[in-house]
Amino acid sequence: MRSAYKLMLATLAIPALLVSIQPALAHHSGAEFDNDKVVELTGTIKEFQFKNPHTWIQIVVDDGKGQPTEWSLEWGAPNSLGRQGYRPSTFPPGAKVTMRVHPMRNGSPAGGFIAAKFADGKTIGRWE
Amino acid sequence: MRTSIIITLSLVFLVTPGMGLAQGGQPTSILPFEKLPDWSGVWQMQGGTVFDRATQTGQGGVLTVGVREHPPYNAEWEAIYQKNLSLRDKDLFPDVITNCGVPVGFPRVFNVPDPYEFVVRPEQVWILTENGPNVMRIYTDGRKHLEDQWETYTGDSVGHWEDDTLVFTTVALKGSRDGDSILDRTGLVLSDKAHGTTRIRKTNATNIQVQMTIEDPKALTKPWVVTKEFRKMPPGTRIYDYGCAENNRNPVDEKTGKTLILGPGGKPLN
Repeated sequence: MRSAYKLMLATLAIPALLVSIQPALAHHSGAEFDNDKVVELTGTIKEFQFKNPHTWIQIVVDDGKGQPTEWSLEWGAPNSLGRQGYRPSTFPPGAKVTMRVHPMRNGSPAGGFIAAKFADGKTIGRWE
Repeated sequence: MRTSIIITLSLVFLVTPGMGLAQGGQPTSILPFEKLPDWSGVWQMQGGTVFDRATQTGQGGVLTVGVREHPPYNAEWEAIYQKNLSLRDKDLFPDVITNCGVPVGFPRVFNVPDPYEFVVRPEQVWILTENGPNVMRIYTDGRKHLEDQWETYTGDSVGHWEDDTLVFTTVALKGSRDGDSILDRTGLVLSDKAHGTTRIRKTNATNIQVQMTIEDPKALTKPWVVTKEFRKMPPGTRIYDYGCAENNRNPVDEKTGKTLILGPGGKPLN
């Protein structure tokens, strides 16, 4: 079972890399994200909006002053992600996760999803 | 006797396979299923969504500033394109599909991401795109274009088969007249006088080629030939709902042309 799980992750890794390199923002330009910057966030998944036209991961992050801040992270289209094996359960509410994102240029709490690493070490997307 | 001959001939005509009555009552010849090519499966457009990559030069792309060899625009429409490119460089050239709700139309219907299906039937060919979604219907039952056809996003397409190649003409396109139809996000547009001749064929088991020759006496100085390629996706690939308005957190601000990012409460973050 464990090896099958690893195989599944390996299978997901390549398309996830492609998705991350090409944000697949087919519905809009994506220019509002700074693709030259990478920000790492650690927090708790609030919601994974597995809906058209793009998926959004809502994650609550401590702002460093003890205050929770909700970040909105945009990912690919659910149909495309679904064909690659991702599901609404990919980011379950309550999960602890560290995200790497291209942040918004104006500093707002949002960004383009690059990769994620769960507390158990499982990764999604272009983590390395 | 004469009456019986007419009745007999009429019955023969009506029951002969491949024969029928097209719009306007004109007899036509429709190829039966077994003589049509197999374009089944799910297909993915190759090469990104810059409409004409064959004439693209430099580093310019849908999102990036760069040099491109332009379509054969006349001076007036080259100026329009330059203005659009300038807006694109400032991220202020809105893509009309970002607000959801309108078809991408022809020829952009061959320039969208996500899977395609090419459904071949004797009397029609349907091109279905997941993105949009969009449907393009090409009538192959012998009918002609309507002389009084009004302009739409996808226009009116009629065609025929030349061996395994589908050849069709598309007319009655609204183009950029109403400000809600573009070819790609570099700002390519055509006028409401544009029309096209398209040839589609399966070049091998895993590739479909679409070659469009676009003419536009209002915007172009000569015919513009663009080729798009489609690669077959793995067997069993599914196509899903594309409900653009389901959770659109990226509407365009109509006042500025800027694409917004909506926060979890629906308030713009930019």
